[in-house]
Amino acid sequence: MRFLPSFALLAGAASAASSWSFSDGAVEVTSKGSVSTSYIFADVQETVQLGQADRLKVSLTAKDGSKAKRPHQAFLMLKEKQTGLEAPYALTLKESGKGTVELTQKDLPIQLLTSTDPLEASLVIGSFGSTKGAVSHAFNVAILVDPNVPQPQYEAPLRYGKKPEIHHIFRDDPKSPPKIISLVFALAVVATVPLVLLGWAAMGANLDHAAKAVSGSASHILFFGSIVAMEGVYFLYYSGWKLFTVLPFMSIIGLVAFLSGSKALGEVQRRRLAGER
Amino acid sequence: MRSLLSLAVLAAASVVSAVSVTGNRLLVVLDDVAEKESYSKLFGSLADRGFDITYDTPRSEDLQLFHLGERTYDHIVFLPTKVKALGPKLTPQILLDFVNAAGNIMVALSATTPASTSTVAFLAELGISLPQERTGLVVDHFNYDTVSASEKHDTLVLHNSKPVRYDMWDVFSLRDDEFLALPHTVGHTLGAGELLTPILRAPSTAYSYNPKEQTEAVDPDDLFAAGQQLALASAFQARNSARVTVLGSAEMLQDKWFDTKVAVEGGSKVSTKNAEFAKTLTGWTFQELGVLRVEEIEHRLKDSNETNPEIYRIKNEVHYQISLSEYRWDAWVPFNANPNDPPQLEVSMLSPFHRLNLAPEEHSATDRTRTYSTDLILPDQHGIFNLRVNYKRPFYTYVDEKCTVSVRHMAHDEWPRSFVISGAWPWISGIGATVSGFVMFCAIWVYSKPAAPLVKKTQ
Repeated sequence: MRFLPSFALLAGAASAASSWSFSDGAVEVTSKGSVSTSYIFADVQETVQLGQADRLKVSLTAKDGSKAKRPHQAFLMLKEKQTGLEAPYALTLKESGKGTVELTQKDLPIQLLTSTDPLEASLVIGSFGSTKGAVSHAFNVAILVDPNVPQPQYEAPLRYGKKPEIHHIFRDDPKSPPKIISLVFALAVVATVPLVLLGWAAMGANLDHAAKAVSGSASHILFFGSIVAMEGVYFLYYSGWKLFTVLPFMSIIGLVAFLSGSKALGEVQRRRLAGER
Repeated sequence: MRSLLSLAVLAAASVVSAVSVTGNRLLVVLDDVAEKESYSKLFGSLADRGFDITYDTPRSEDLQLFHLGERTYDHIVFLPTKVKALGPKLTPQILLDFVNAAGNIMVALSATTPASTSTVAFLAELGISLPQERTGLVVDHFNYDTVSASEKHDTLVLHNSKPVRYDMWDVFSLRDDEFLALPHTVGHTLGAGELLTPILRAPSTAYSYNPKEQTEAVDPDDLFAAGQQLALASAFQARNSARVTVLGSAEMLQDKWFDTKVAVEGGSKVSTKNAEFAKTLTGWTFQELGVLRVEEIEHRLKDSNETNPEIYRIKNEVHYQISLSEYRWDAWVPFNANPNDPPQLEVSMLSPFHRLNLAPEEHSATDRTRTYSTDLILPDQHGIFNLRVNYKRPFYTYVDEKCTVSVRHMAHDEWPRSFVISGAWPWISGIGATVSGFVMFCAIWVYSKPAAPLVKKTQ
């Protein structure tokens, strides 16, 4: 452990008699294995590292002008730069103006403990009367975290204020394949109609007995017409009619088909018995 | 004639009660009724604003906050009293009941008089802690009044130019060149509750100490609080929007501090803004400021004239609007929210599906309300939804309005027709092919002449 001699840090502290200042300001970090680093404030260029088991000790001698004296207030102030949060630590002062404060990571509030940037440490010295108080930046201290030890998590308390906007993510609309593919397959399906006609024609299908059938029984017009009309009703049902609009039409057409069908099909049977089918 | 007279009385009463939204009966509790003389400007201002002020001491026999279960006062001011406890009429429980019954309380403390145990217990219930042994003095060796406290540094000179949080209403903020003087202040610390808001915080170099014990230096073990964690004036707004304020320095409300001049080190003498601050603080506490009222809520299907229907369909386009007004001293005026912090609409079923900022609509100068609106598309999920505006902000009374609507799914005839869907074209043409094939088959089956056999089979 070594303490290098120091000089008063505050600019103009010696000249202005009515101002508080300090001398012998030193900061010392003691690790568990008694390995320690110590700095005097004026020389602290690098950041003081405070490990999980380390103990940070700040000592100084407060001065009223050039005379060592005990002030009423001597605080070590640790400040988190981003949020501006400050944590004050009062120094234990002796009559002679000598004061010390020791702290470990356990003494830090969680907001400072989880800070990623080094904390700014400054000293506030002030007292009653006309002597001016002094606030001076002393050093920066970085909080070292042990990656093997779970870190405390800071949960911000509830505060009334604006909340982030939420926009509902809608499910995707149902998708269709490219239109050209649908069109090709639709045409392919439609093309089966002339194909089946051709097939039937090749096998000798014809409509040659139509005139004979109609002359045999006039119900054929009604019967075939009712089959076509039924399909027409189905088409209207698809394109906009409601069920109860459709039902009366279907029952009328069905009745016509039944009555005319029995006669028309009777004529067909007669033709078959006559060997004409 | 009598009815005319009673009408006139009613009108007069309504004019008087227009002072505060919650009533005008104010009780002032102080040590000695004669003490009110030193606060004459504060109470004069309150009386001018229409408050009916009753002065009483905690020792009074007939002091009663409730009569037959109803509040007998609407607001209470506690000035420092030398009694150890406020007695059986003002126990912490009765004070809490008073707040629960929507009564407002302002507690003014002083470092020269220890706070009563009743006050300490009452404030502890709200999450506000006072220093040990009910006494503490806030000093700041950097921001003190060089005129009155050049030796003791116990009159703080503050300028409160910014609200504690950037998005808060700056009702208590002063201009940069305006100062407050807080003599003999006792500080307090606030718990983590969301209902608490600091109004004045101590400067970072200030600290609280016990002037009886720590005369030489601050004892690190007994340091109550220092810096910005030390609040000098704080607000508590309960869930029923009743308000409690704590002011660390009762003396700043006295006449002599209203027009005195103060100076910080190296600065010139300036008049304090204590009078304005006292007016704002009492006005806010007694619900003359920052009281929000929902005038109208309207939601409807876009391009429809039916307002507030009970049922919508998923993915409907809906227009929602809410009109808000704010009470300011004696009138309802349009509520202009901070443009960065507008009211938000939540469309929620268990959890919010949408949370949208509501935009203020154009309004004319004669309007007494301001309308905030948004257009939205309801989520693609059927169920019971709440259209909720939950606008809770520090220093404003709480707005939490819900409209419950059913959101139904698509009916069978609301989907796009199959011929619009290109993927259905092969299936539709399939049906067409089947139908035409069936009709053709019927025709051939019925009307076909037997075909001549192609090849005669020979045995």
